[in-house]
Amino acid sequence: MDTLVAQYSQSDYDREQYSQDEQMELYQPEPSLSLRFAMPPIAQPSAWLRAATDDNANPNCPIKIAHGTTTLAFRFQGGIIVATDSRATAGNWIASQTVKKVIEINSCLLGTMAGGAADCQYWLAYLGMQCRLHELRHKRRISVAAASKILANLVYSYKGMGLSMGTMCAGVTPSEGPALYYIDSDGTRLAGNLFCVGSGQTFAYGVLDAEYKYDLSETEALELGRRSILAATHRDAYSGGFINLYHVKEDGWVKHGFNDTNPIFWETKLNKGEFSNVTSELV
Amino acid sequence: MYAAHLDLAARKDFTLICASKAAMRGATILKASDDKTRALNQHTLMAFSGEAGDTIQFAEYIQANAQLYSMRNGIDLSPSAVANFVRGELASSLRSRKPYNVNLLLGGVDPITDKPSLYWLDYLASLAPLPYAAHGYAQYYCLSILDKHHHPDIDYEQGIKLLHLCTDELKRRLPIDFKGMMVKVITKDGIRTVDYDDEARIPCP
Amino acid sequence: MASGYDRALSVFSPDGHVFQVEYALEAVKRGTCAVGVKGADIVVLGCEKRSAMKLQDTRITPSKIGLVDTHVCLAFAGLNADARILVDKARLEAQSHRLTVEDPVTIEYITKYVAGVQQRYTQSGGVRPFGISTLIVGFDPNDKTPRLYQTEPSGIYSAWKANAIGRSSKTVREFLERNHKDDMDREATIKLTIKSLLEVVQTGAKNIEIAIMAPGKLIEMLPVEDIEAYVKAIEQEKSEEAAKKKTGRTPGTGNAAILTRGPDDASGA
Repeated sequence: MDTLVAQYSQSDYDREQYSQDEQMELYQPEPSLSLRFAMPPIAQPSAWLRAATDDNANPNCPIKIAHGTTTLAFRFQGGIIVATDSRATAGNWIASQTVKKVIEINSCLLGTMAGGAADCQYWLAYLGMQCRLHELRHKRRISVAAASKILANLVYSYKGMGLSMGTMCAGVTPSEGPALYYIDSDGTRLAGNLFCVGSGQTFAYGVLDAEYKYDLSETEALELGRRSILAATHRDAYSGGFINLYHVKEDGWVKHGFNDTNPIFWETKLNKGEFSNVTSELV
Repeated sequence: MYAAHLDLAARKDFTLICASKAAMRGATILKASDDKTRALNQHTLMAFSGEAGDTIQFAEYIQANAQLYSMRNGIDLSPSAVANFVRGELASSLRSRKPYNVNLLLGGVDPITDKPSLYWLDYLASLAPLPYAAHGYAQYYCLSILDKHHHPDIDYEQGIKLLHLCTDELKRRLPIDFKGMMVKVITKDGIRTVDYDDEARIPCP
Repeated sequence: MASGYDRALSVFSPDGHVFQVEYALEAVKRGTCAVGVKGADIVVLGCEKRSAMKLQDTRITPSKIGLVDTHVCLAFAGLNADARILVDKARLEAQSHRLTVEDPVTIEYITKYVAGVQQRYTQSGGVRPFGISTLIVGFDPNDKTPRLYQTEPSGIYSAWKANAIGRSSKTVREFLERNHKDDMDREATIKLTIKSLLEVVQTGAKNIEIAIMAPGKLIEMLPVEDIEAYVKAIEQEKSEEAAKKKTGRTPGTGNAAILTRGPDDASGA
């Protein structure tokens, strides 16, 4: 009997450690599934990563990360509009024209993708998992504030190790109404009405800020989102492809198409007379 | 480091804290109504600037600990106790693998003695109780103004006036638009946001 | 007695008992009584308070009712020292939850957490289970529904309209079963709580502690004078009813409401 007991009992000291660990597990956002990534065995992983990946400073860098984007999201009376382009570039090379930069976390939550494509895809998928777990544990849908904070805490724990992401979380919940958060890999997390992220952000801001009002109608809001992305794809070499447009409402998000920018551009130019710097006739 | 400015005037029976409302990343202002302060308990407020991410993580960590203390002991930590606790946390962070890069101003009113106080802390874990203080570029403009116009027993109206002198000068001379100031006052009755009018454009003479 | 199967915690007896956990329940039964009652829009916790020694400083002697967060209140029955540890863990979790999710905890969440901690201490070596049951009450953020939960040393948790734990809890619970009504107002809820406690507390108001939670408000500890007033009112009611019964004017009713107990029914579950 005693040997049996001894076999299954530990010293008080061991136990203390163990229970402490277990307690941490309960409230830490840190994943329970193994996410122990191997780190390069150097003091400053981010500096090393920059040396290996910065194609601006060194066109022959060994790793070219997919970058360059325009994404935007804004709140208005009818919910939230989320719009992105679809181009992925690695250096000067257009790696893809059909990237889905809006990530559907669940039926009511959207995330957008700017920065490292892999980082965004992986961690937003991970966020989706955490949101579902939260839902099961708490018996109600996660708030956008909580979801964005999980992501912000997560990327903050990897701060300085080379993650590169600028993302927005948009969702409508009964407790918060339409909520929009900006999160980036520095660990910044901001709630706001309107954000543009990516290399084309300045062009998008230009169009969006001028015509943005909270009282926009649904059609006006969708058109403004589309036009702002179009502006960015026209001027930013690293943005282009298709316009991916979403509308988040109280009962979930609705997709409003994944449309080629090219016909939209010509339609805008020829019907509305905008983009007059581009000639449409042979001289 | 961030170009956030904080500054303040203290004394008599209140402490004023103000912080710029702009949240910037690169050349873009992402938000023009950012709140760079956190209430630690009923009558202690902390304003912060520094590295993005670090600031809020650190401030909320301190906030959670201050509130945990209040729940455990049924009484709030005094402003001086909080200040020394924060200094300790900064000091151990400084010697860790990844130090927090944050500068802080901590203002409060002692709930027992009703004495107002102001503490200046930087990321190197210096702690100084002061009658008035500032961080960031704001220091270079505001400290001289405060040196000239602050005295120990100014009342609330004079305090706000003094703050206007400071923020007007910042608007006049700073090359970046900081999108106005979020001003909060701490009295023995708690923390309150001040309706601070700084819409006026200040021309450079 | 239990032929060695109560020696270590993580060992079952052949018929499926974990004796240490059952002993912990025994410790709960010996603890002073605590009662929780939900009203229409408030929830009340009542506790039997041990009488203080002559030289004891009652101002700084810890209470059996503790705040976990501003909107969550906890009362326990059992070993005081164990409770201190458990309450502290709950407080830490409440703040940690605020920090990581930005929302205060829901009452169910913190109950589940407390029960989870208690369960962990029944399934590993070298530790002893918590010798306490708890009643956890409060209001979820932005919600006006009163909540009342109970946890046990085994890690079981359950929701109630009104419940009692500790010494003579069975008697009190039966009393509550007979007298609890849905939609009681503030007065009625407090009164029922005190009345149910008086089933086991003979010494009256000075040995009763009452805490009241209302949505969006801070905890309110009822002053002794107020409790005294309630006790007096209840006693008067009782004597009136007894007098009525003696004269036999209401023969068919009310005999259940004034059941008196012998000293030997401390066999509550």
